[in-house]
Amino acid sequence: MSKRTFRKSLDYVKKEYKRTRTIPASWYLSSYKYKFNITHMKPFLEKLKQKKLVGLECSSCNRVFFPPRFVCGKCLVKPDRWVDLRETARVATYTITYIKDPETGGILEKPVVCIRQDGSDTTHLVNLDPEVDYKDTYIGMPVKVHWADNPTGGLMDIEYYDVIEDDAKDLGLRKD
Amino acid sequence: MEKVGIVGYYQVKLYSDANYGRYEMIFEAVRGALDSVGLKKKDITTVISATNDYYDGRTISNCFTVEVGGGYMVDESKVEMDGAHAVLYGLMRILSGTHKLAVVWGGSMASCFPYHSARLYETDPTWERPLGYVNDITAAGFQMRAYMEKYGISAKEIAEIAVKNKKNASKNPLALEEAQKPNLTVKDVLDSEIYSDPVTELMVAPPCDGVAALLLAPERQALKITDNPVWITGVGYNQETYYIGDRNLYESKSMELAAKMAYDMAGIKDPASEIDLAEIFEAHAHEELILAEALGLAEKGKAASLNSKIDGDLPINPSGGALGGNPPCATGLIRIIEAVKQLKGEANGYQVKGAKRAIATGQIGMCCQNNIIYVLEGEK
Amino acid sequence: MGRQVAIISAGFSEHASKRSDVSMPELVREAIDDCLKKVPGLEIKDIDAFVNGNMPAFEGSNIPELWMTDWLGARNKPLMRVTTGGTTGGSVAIAGYYTVAAGLPGVDTVLAVAFEQQSQGDTSVGLASVAYGEISVMNTLGIPYEQLTRLLSAGAAIGIASYQATNYMRRSKITEEDLARVVVQNRRNAAKTWWAHLKMPHLTIEEVLDTPYISYPLRYGMVCPTSDGACAMLFTTEEKAKELCDVPVYVNGVGSVANETAILGYCGSGAGQLDPSEQLGAQKTAELVYKQAGISFPRKEIDYAEVYSPFPNQELMWVERLGLFEENTAPEMYANGITAPDGELPINCSGGVNSTNAIGASAMERPAVAALQIMGKASNQVKKTVHTSLGHGWGGAVNLITMMIMSDEPSRKFK
Repeated sequence: MSKRTFRKSLDYVKKEYKRTRTIPASWYLSSYKYKFNITHMKPFLEKLKQKKLVGLECSSCNRVFFPPRFVCGKCLVKPDRWVDLRETARVATYTITYIKDPETGGILEKPVVCIRQDGSDTTHLVNLDPEVDYKDTYIGMPVKVHWADNPTGGLMDIEYYDVIEDDAKDLGLRKD
Repeated sequence: MEKVGIVGYYQVKLYSDANYGRYEMIFEAVRGALDSVGLKKKDITTVISATNDYYDGRTISNCFTVEVGGGYMVDESKVEMDGAHAVLYGLMRILSGTHKLAVVWGGSMASCFPYHSARLYETDPTWERPLGYVNDITAAGFQMRAYMEKYGISAKEIAEIAVKNKKNASKNPLALEEAQKPNLTVKDVLDSEIYSDPVTELMVAPPCDGVAALLLAPERQALKITDNPVWITGVGYNQETYYIGDRNLYESKSMELAAKMAYDMAGIKDPASEIDLAEIFEAHAHEELILAEALGLAEKGKAASLNSKIDGDLPINPSGGALGGNPPCATGLIRIIEAVKQLKGEANGYQVKGAKRAIATGQIGMCCQNNIIYVLEGEK
Repeated sequence: MGRQVAIISAGFSEHASKRSDVSMPELVREAIDDCLKKVPGLEIKDIDAFVNGNMPAFEGSNIPELWMTDWLGARNKPLMRVTTGGTTGGSVAIAGYYTVAAGLPGVDTVLAVAFEQQSQGDTSVGLASVAYGEISVMNTLGIPYEQLTRLLSAGAAIGIASYQATNYMRRSKITEEDLARVVVQNRRNAAKTWWAHLKMPHLTIEEVLDTPYISYPLRYGMVCPTSDGACAMLFTTEEKAKELCDVPVYVNGVGSVANETAILGYCGSGAGQLDPSEQLGAQKTAELVYKQAGISFPRKEIDYAEVYSPFPNQELMWVERLGLFEENTAPEMYANGITAPDGELPINCSGGVNSTNAIGASAMERPAVAALQIMGKASNQVKKTVHTSLGHGWGGAVNLITMMIMSDEPSRKFK
């Protein structure tokens, strides 16, 4: 249903105002440079190339960041300890987006998930296995890393996450 | 007005193209300010930042800087004008009695965006922007010509201000390296590239990368934190009308009204004799003369004959002013920090002897449309 | 230190999806005129200082107050600009409060104005540019650009709301009908408010559920519109308020605690908020604000609340996080009519953000309407006498919050 049909059907009256002149202009976001220093990510990317996961821990509040973070906000210091992480994770939150396919014009449904790696205290946006039926996704679902074939030292070395067997004893985490 | 003290400060060295990113600079400035007086993150009760969405290339520029700026789980807000206006908001929060320590930080990276194009967005989009005649540089040209014609000042006298400020900047270790010119002459300034006659390149404050932070506390807490805080005894801010044709460009009405507000609060009757030094934010060299007259430091039209060198009668901009480096949104804050350094005796290499009372100013808008001034006094 | 602050008036301009008959300064002038006409003893030349704000990405104007000086009446007067994205209106109201509370000599009456003319710009560009910088970091670290745009097409405000919705639904087991019920209540309230945008007096739950999904579980029928509009509030001292107004509204608590970002962390790191529906920042703000105002049992002591919820799941979530209802009981409260205009604790009788969303102004309209309800001059005035009310706003990457508590009695500290 188009937006116009929708608005008409819900009994909405659009008020017409007298039009005045229009003068075009634009905000050239493409002329901006964004400067970042990612030297704190170097050890993390090296380990990804070796198919290993590490997180950065803040020694004063013991929170582990995955991917690593430059400054721990709670303590206002730089975290400095690297810890190894397991390959399993759980889904923290998710949504399903409805995007118009430019070729066919139909509506595509694509899931987007945030997972929390076991042992870390932050969430990260990832893809799930493309063959999984996304309608089974639920919060707390366990997933595992599926490495890319030739890791190059970038975030795409984690190609997607496989869904694994759920052996959680806590029933509250299961989907109802 | 109750006394509010500046207890700590930190300024990052200015670079024209810094080799590090925005978050590193903000963290360095805020952590440096807290470490200089031995305070911790849990002592912070409010954080005010000063950044600008168009200068950073993103909306809600304070949204991702909450953690590095010390604002995690802290009452924080953002002022989208010069850094000096952020200090005003921090000051108001302390005077209301609800907060005990305010961190004020501000700054941006001019190497990441086209500065003069971003300034173009300040113009009136219905008339001036499509015609393209008025932008920050041509407006400066209008103002300089108006001032020169009204009082018979020559471009040479204005170029001397640029020479003085760049010489002062060469003694300031934190100023921009390209602006530190100890051997500059008046001829060099007048011969440099013309931006908009009669304004030449060396008369314009160079935009650069930089962040600064300072700490404010009410009287009782300030005396516990440090032995010699610097007190803010007066503040004034004012904005005049926008259209260039509606203003007398050879004087600054908004600065006169702001100065009156601040001097009444601080109890100053004769600024020329009661003030020991002034740190003025001058985006162009001629603005220093116009603002000095509006502040009452000289008679109208006589500011060029004032001896404003570091060892002169009334030093103006001993740190080099904005001509020594202008990081957008931080320059006003840096002027306050330089004045604080002078009053505490910590300005090594460019110290004004026996400074007890100083003024620091900030501005935003074309031809100094919105001005803010602080009167600062050192602890005896 | 400090002094009691009172609100004596609030005004609005007409909101619509495209106010093509006015330029931005004229829109602001409408709101200022509406605000000042309610206070016959005060003229524009009696205002001592101004505080303004909007979200600048939508109009293509950097610091528009410089241009609008004469329209605001701010020629040769002090002016300060405060902007914090989605919470801009709330931050401007709070800055107006602090300007008066600070007690600078000569600054007693302050006009706070927040506005937005979204039709001038492209809303999706303005909202997406919040995270452009962070997307570019993830791009450098190896994620290809197409994948990022898909990941973040569920981004900006609607995306974050849908993440919040899935978490909240799992926690409290609400259904889509509960969401639709909130929408119906808001739009019917808006039909009685003269300045609101989407007025739908005969909306039903089935009509809302009959529209397609934008992003699970939110449908087209549940989403807020984009509007052009402005709002103005007048703050002054207790003595002046008693002279100028018969029911002055005293501001007793303000707060705006910030939290780590959700969904996307800064500089390529992960997000700190594990559960976007938990909102530690909002809980801490509520604690601070209730302590300042001397409220220990918000459920009984607050008579009216305006909560910032462009999406219906947020309304259910915020009323719990701000302490107004117990955990997981909000849907029942809506179903039993407790939050209706004639109920025990009316919520969003102006239609809320779900019916009118001019981003820069909407976080100020919440405390403005809450104040007018205490004065008895609101457009959709509730029947019972309102003594204490609450105005709230959120924004950023769900990490910025503003709250203001108002009452007809000054706080104990200043009595």
